[in-house]
Order: sequence, then C-alpha cells, then structure tokens
Amino acid sequence: METRVFYPFMKKFIPMVLTILVVLSLYRYYGAWEYTSKNLPEFFRLVLEHFFLVIVSMATAGSVGVGLGTIMTRKGFERFGSAIMAIVNIWQSIPSLGVIALAYGFLPLLGLSGIGVVPALIALFFHAVAPIVRNTYAGIQSVSSDVIEAATGMGMTPNQILFKIEIPNALPVIMGGIRTATAIIVGSAPLAFLIGGGGLGFWIFTGIALMDMGILMAGAVPVALIAMFFDALLARLERIVVSAGIQTEEYQVA
Amino acid sequence: MGTMLSLQEVTKIYPGAEHIKAVDRLSFDLEEGEICTMVGPSGCGKTTAMKMVNRLIPITSGKILIDGQNISRLDTIELRRSIGYVIQNIGLFPNMTIGENIATIPKLKGWDHDQIAEKVESLLEIVNLPPGEYIDRYPRELSGGQQQRIGVARGMAADPPIMLMDEPFGAIDPINREHLQDEFLKIQEKVKKTIVFVTHDIDEAIKMGDKICLLKDGKLVQFASPEELLTEPANEFVRDFVGGDRTLKRLNLLKVRAAMSPDPPVIMKDESPEKAKSMLNELKADHLIVVDNEKRLMGYIDQEALTKKVDEVGDIARSTDAFLPASSSLKDGLSEIFTHDVGYIIVVDEDKKVLGILREDGIKEILRK
Repeated sequence: METRVFYPFMKKFIPMVLTILVVLSLYRYYGAWEYTSKNLPEFFRLVLEHFFLVIVSMATAGSVGVGLGTIMTRKGFERFGSAIMAIVNIWQSIPSLGVIALAYGFLPLLGLSGIGVVPALIALFFHAVAPIVRNTYAGIQSVSSDVIEAATGMGMTPNQILFKIEIPNALPVIMGGIRTATAIIVGSAPLAFLIGGGGLGFWIFTGIALMDMGILMAGAVPVALIAMFFDALLARLERIVVSAGIQTEEYQVA
Repeated sequence: MGTMLSLQEVTKIYPGAEHIKAVDRLSFDLEEGEICTMVGPSGCGKTTAMKMVNRLIPITSGKILIDGQNISRLDTIELRRSIGYVIQNIGLFPNMTIGENIATIPKLKGWDHDQIAEKVESLLEIVNLPPGEYIDRYPRELSGGQQQRIGVARGMAADPPIMLMDEPFGAIDPINREHLQDEFLKIQEKVKKTIVFVTHDIDEAIKMGDKICLLKDGKLVQFASPEELLTEPANEFVRDFVGGDRTLKRLNLLKVRAAMSPDPPVIMKDESPEKAKSMLNELKADHLIVVDNEKRLMGYIDQEALTKKVDEVGDIARSTDAFLPASSSLKDGLSEIFTHDVGYIIVVDEDKKVLGILREDGIKEILRK
C-alpha cells in the first residue's frame, strides 16, 4: 500500500524539485536575485498585476466558457453547437501574440481603447474561453445516453439531470479544459505588457530590449513559478470536486 | 386486486412516418401484482408501447389508465416518480455511490434521511448485495450482474406500484441471466409489483410473465397466460414465434404438483414386514415408500429387503434420492425420472413430507390437455 502511493509521488516530485533547482540557480547566476531585491516594491506590484490578469481573465473565461458550453448542449440550441464549435476551434489556433495584436487593432474600431488593462483582459479572455467551451460541450455530450434515459425515466427534471448527472460526470473533461485555459493564460499574460496591460512581462521585455539576462530572468522565473502554482492548485481542486466514482489516475487534457 | 394498468386503443404514429403505426390500437388490462411480458420481433412496437406508459414517448391517440387515472392528466415528473424504470444498459449514475444511486428518487421526493437509509439497506438486502459491503462503492467497481441488481433496486426505491423493465437482463450472460430471473421472481413474490417487462426472448417471456402480450407490426396478436399461449396459439404467427418445441416449453412452465398422483404407496416406518408384503401384493407394486410419523420421507422397501427378519419396516428402509419438491418444473421431474431410471419419482414438500408420486403417464396426460 505504502509503496504504491509513494512511487508515483516520487516520480512527480523528483523532476519538479530538479526543475526548480535548475531554474533557481540560473536565477542567481544571471543576477536576477540581486535585481529583484533592489526593486522589491516594483516586483510585488508586477506580481500583483500578473495575478490580477490571470485570475480575472480566468474567472470570466471559466464562467462564460462553462455557461456557453452547457447552453450549447441544451434542447433547442443543439444546432448552434457545431457552428460555435467550429468558430471556437479556429479561434484556438490563433497564437497568443496574434490575439493580443487583434485586441490592439480591433478594439479601437469599436470605439474602445486598444491600450491598457482592459484590452489585455479581453484578449486573454478570448484566448482562454475556447478550450473551456469546447471541453464543457464535449464533456456533457459524452455522458452516456443510457444514464440520461434512466434519469429521465425515473422522473428527474432536466435541471436536476444537468446539475446532478451531466455536469458532475463531465467535470473531469471540463476541468481539463480549465487547466488548458489556465496554462494558455499564464503563458500569454506576459504579452499583455505589449499593449500596456502590465504584469511581469514588463521585466521580460525590458530584459530583452536591454539584452540584460538578469532583468529577463527576474521576470521569467516568477512567471514559470506562477504557472506551476496554478496548475498544482487546479489539480488539487480537481481531486476535490470530481467524484471518486469517475476519477482516473491521469486525465487527458484536451 | 383490481385493474392496475389499462391500455385502451393506444396508438403511436411517429412524426415523419405517418403511414406506419408503430403501435396500433393496443388494448389490454393488467391486474395488480401481475407481470406482463411484451414480446415480439424487433420493430414490433413493444418498447414504444412500454415507454408510452411513463410518457417517455408521447401517445398519439387512445389512453392509458393507472389505477383508474388517465396518465395524460398527471404531471409528467410525478407520474415517472411513481413508476419504477429499469433499462437494458442499466444506466447507473457513475458519479454516485450505490447508496446514492438507489436513494435518488426518494431524495427528490423529500423523504427524511433515516427513512431513505433504511430503504436503501433493505433494498440491497433484497437484491442479495450486503449493504455494508456495497453501499459506498461506485458502479464501475461492480460486475454487470451486480449493476443490474442495483438497477432493479433503484427502480423499486420509491415504492412504485408499477415498474417498467426494458430488457433488463438482455445484456447479461446466459448463466447469470437465468440466475437473475429466478432471483427477480423471488423478489416479485414478496413485493408484488405490477410490471411491464419488455423482452425479445420468448423463453424469458414465458418464464417471467403472468400474461404475455405478443405484438407484431404494432398490433396485438395475442394476450394470454403463458400456458394458454403455448396450448392455444391464436394463429400461425404465434405458433411459429413460440417455436416447434412448444410442448417442451410447457414442461418448463408446469409444476410437478400439477402432474403428480396424490395417493402414493406409503407405509409407516413402525409397520410390520408382513403388512408390507400384503400391501405390495394388494397394490401389485414393486416398492413401498417408507415414511415416519410425520409423513416425512425415510426411504423405500422392496420384496428383496423384506426377506430380512425385522420387526419394523423402518429398520430395512433403503434411502433414496429419487425425490423432488412439488414446486419444481416438470422438466426437472422428467429429467429425474430418466436419471434414476425408475417408474416414478417421489414428490415432497419443503419439509420432505411425501405429497405424491410423479409418473411419466401423469406428465403425458397433462401435456395432452
């Protein structure tokens, strides 16, 4: 029993510790540590901005994505489903920088500013919403029709079926979509700096511009750590919210 | 006992296929506590007819009454909650434990916690899955047969007077299926539900049904008891559908009790050998069945045994296993007769009291009827 739990844990744990050690040694080697400690107030402000970008765009993309994905499976909306999925699939193939550039170029046409936090949030939101819509839709669609028939025949209302049967059984797939979306958002958030959205991208792009590895690493390493933090957080969340009856060792992340 | 379920001129025409009547003016009444098996070739409308009872499929014309109430006047959700529903592919909720699966409808009906817990445990016991072991497990941890037992338990959870079962044992291997059928009939003896049971297997229909509703192209061909269906098939189609081995099927259906002769040649164990000899001569029999004071089977004696000098025949009785309970099927009875290669088999009740004897003649006679 103990070894069965212990080995998978070590298999995950050792590479993680090694990665962190390598990253931290590079961090010190290039003088990023020094730079950060000299600019501590700015560091905290950037980290805070970065968290703000990630959390706000994640929360909106999550609620809109799950909502839209769910509505697409409801009676009467099925025919929009495939159309929306087609758009979503094309949308997801646009690279992060492209989405940022689109926000910058497109929002002024609607009379909005293309510069600042709001355009950055809009860009991140649109980039992250696609995998969530897709996985929510696919997850609910994949719930066995026998299960739905049994629930209907027993006398459950459509809402009871949605909340007690369909969503709980689709959760592993939905959570997979949310993790993908989070990875995309955390990875794209530094680009927000390019249109004035703030965040740790500031130091990364400053470092690139000045060809100063220290400043670059001072921005890049925290970004990587934040990405790991969110992924671990969501993995933990998944263990809590997904029923033990449908949990598997490793989820396929779409 | 009154009419529980009544179908009156029930017709179903699917939109887009107006020229075909999936179910065509189907009428029958089902008494409380009866199982009606609906059987027929695929596409005969049996599943459609069943699903109109809980309004999974809307009725085109005609009406269905449950306990005298027209179901189209009832709230759909309330109606469905008062009808147990069991399907071939079981459809247990994978995200819920066995206990939660069974408790689904009682919970939605607002039963209190203790009442639900009690019900779940008693149902698990009824379907032979110890609650302590199974209540907190998940469907994927169970075998197909176990899952279907849970499916049946879930269908009965809210004490519905009526149950609809759509080929409930169809996806289960033949050995387990027979076991589940027997088990279910035992459960039914206790719970006495009114059941509509869809199957494509005529043997299952005969075994499970108090009434058989045989459909073809949406029309009722014959509505009769299994015995009647086998002895008086309404037409050529029924004869073919039931199969050439109708007589053998009746053997399965009929009980030993119906074919036995009730005056067995018995002798009490404390009678004298002289009495036994005179009885043998009088009856022109080869054996006498020896019973104790409460008529329980002890064994048999024949002329050869009687050559020994004893006071009571009980001391020379030879034990025998050529007996079987009165509730066995005639098929088992016939098989016993052939196995033991004897003139007759002793018929006993649960306490091994001798009730009569079963001869080949008796079987032949009842099959001739």
